[in-house]
Amino acid sequence: MDRRAFLLASAALSGTAAGCDGRAEPAGRLAVPFWFTYGGRNRATLEKLVARFNAAQNEIWIQAVFQGDYFEGLAKLRTALAARAAPPLSHVVGEVVPYLAAAGVLEPLDEYPGAHELALEPRLDQAGSFHGGAERPLVVLPFNRSTPIAYVNARLFGDREPPRTWDELRQTARQLTRSGCFGFGCPIDWWYWAALVGQAGGRVVEPDGRVTLGGAAGVAAIAFWQSLVQRGVMKQPPGRDYNAWEQLSQDFLAERVAMIWSSTAFVRYLEETADFPVRALPLPHGVRGSVPTGGTHFVLLKSAPRELKQAAWRFVRFLLEPEPAAFWSSETGYLPVTLAAAARLEASGFYAKHPNYRVALAQLPVAEPWPWSKGLFRIQREVVQPRLEAALLEHRDPERVLAEARALAEESAL
Amino acid sequence: MKPSRPAQPWWLLSPMLLALGIFFLYPLLSAFKTSFYEWDLLTPPRFVGLANYRAILASGELLSSLGTTLLVSVVVVTGSLVLGLALALAVHRPGRVAALARSAVFSAYVVSWVSVGLLFLWIFDADAGVVNRALAWLGMPGAKWLTSTTLAPLTVALIVIWKVTGYAMVVFLSGLSALPPEVSEAAALDGAGPVSRLRHVTLPLLRPTAAFVATTSLIASFQLFDVVRLLTQGGPVRSTTVLVYAIYEQLFRDLRVGRASALVVIFFVVLALLSWLKLRAFRAEEPA
Repeated sequence: MDRRAFLLASAALSGTAAGCDGRAEPAGRLAVPFWFTYGGRNRATLEKLVARFNAAQNEIWIQAVFQGDYFEGLAKLRTALAARAAPPLSHVVGEVVPYLAAAGVLEPLDEYPGAHELALEPRLDQAGSFHGGAERPLVVLPFNRSTPIAYVNARLFGDREPPRTWDELRQTARQLTRSGCFGFGCPIDWWYWAALVGQAGGRVVEPDGRVTLGGAAGVAAIAFWQSLVQRGVMKQPPGRDYNAWEQLSQDFLAERVAMIWSSTAFVRYLEETADFPVRALPLPHGVRGSVPTGGTHFVLLKSAPRELKQAAWRFVRFLLEPEPAAFWSSETGYLPVTLAAAARLEASGFYAKHPNYRVALAQLPVAEPWPWSKGLFRIQREVVQPRLEAALLEHRDPERVLAEARALAEESAL
Repeated sequence: MKPSRPAQPWWLLSPMLLALGIFFLYPLLSAFKTSFYEWDLLTPPRFVGLANYRAILASGELLSSLGTTLLVSVVVVTGSLVLGLALALAVHRPGRVAALARSAVFSAYVVSWVSVGLLFLWIFDADAGVVNRALAWLGMPGAKWLTSTTLAPLTVALIVIWKVTGYAMVVFLSGLSALPPEVSEAAALDGAGPVSRLRHVTLPLLRPTAAFVATTSLIASFQLFDVVRLLTQGGPVRSTTVLVYAIYEQLFRDLRVGRASALVVIFFVVLALLSWLKLRAFRAEEPA
């Protein structure tokens, strides 16, 4: 009995539990497990699309299994991979793609029918999402992709001009701050820090692979946050990761923060839940405009049986057809990932009626690809994220914090 | 009872030994072995000797998470002992009010950790939480209960005390009920007042009960995970990263199975040491 046998037993147990939800496939259908990590409204939207696919044909039965948030889902996927019990289809955050590709667990998709005829939005496919992504075998396809955007409480914001620079953001945050309400809120999170680094003219990892963490731009990004917090105009939500994001959404909805940075994925949720009009705005520029992309990419897992992977591929193709892709985008706020879906939303007048959904799309020309770096997720999770917190909460010198992080990051990137 | 055959005790013990072997001994030995490997669950494990132990020592992670765990444990054990005893003494009397108070205090113990976490997230929110609003109403400044590196571990400890004190109170109540009343009566006849009786009669007789409460509170605080996961996710700046949470982070966040296993081994050694000290303390008290 080795550790693999032990993991296999654990995965079999979790598989049994997942199979107990009464969604067994009808006779004669090929059951295809699909592990997903969308919660709330986005989960309901995905389940509608799954039901539609299952009803549209009689050979495949997609079994969509919820696996927690992105990072919980990733942990389960890795355990299942180690136990050789992984599903044929799942979706993962971009930062971990190079690592999974290097570990050889992702199925190359180049040979799948129509893989290069999907007319994906060029900033969101593998080539556009990663520096050097075009030169590598195709292993990911986009579905729920996003950028950070700003949300303002339109009632409090009034007819102010949207802040277009860091100085204007600082000024607007100050004007919006009043007793019981912060002018600005942002999770102290790697994603938003990466946006600031880009806006300050830097890159987390240089195209040649050097981990600079933005150099002076990385320092400027932290110093900018520090200045907002010290002036009492920015709220740092408690908690980490998506707990902090969710907490900030709740603060925004309860009018404890007038302007927040969050993902475009929350457009629909915030619009529907708020008691006040919500307006989405692009992020300001520093020395240039820059936003990272976020969300996840579809992956087929190499270890799954061939027929399951082929069936999963048919489902992916279905989701990337213009109508389902447009439906997903309009119901959630995620970016339309194909050109046809974006054109459909434009032509139908959706964007004219719902301008908040267009903000992230309009930012795509300044979207910064991620480096294809095997150590990227460790740089994110182990090195940078805890130090951002330290810099903000313990008022540490940003230059020293980043120098320390850089030394560790060089090690992680190897 | 004398066994009919020498093997009989082993047969009777075998179901429990099997369960312990599968669910305790095997994982422990497996973790011990894995602690000498670098493994990410995806690529083949690589033998690295003591590198994992060196890495967690050098990074300061071991000392900081052990320190946080011990800090939380000391506060929890002290708090639950003092509060549990005080409450038990207060409600150890007949009557409906005392019965209601007993049920109310114990009810916290049966609430799930997840519900407790979510509840206290709202109570201790720095801006909108009940505690800070009450302080503001009294004209006092609020505190960053969950976002200050100094306060957050104490806040977590307070929550654990709130949760386990009901149990401590029930155990103390059973201890109080088991005390022979004639001892206290004899002391009263000799002229001992209530405080003197408590100090010189009740408390010494409750020592075994207190030791039991201390042990269960210690175990609860060492096993702390759910409330940290929900409230702070180990932050801010690792200030609430207790040992179990550090193991979770290494394994599921950082893909470092070897380092997580090394932490498991050290955690086991710490617990074994504490259990040994506790046993020694118990034996020292037993009459020769």
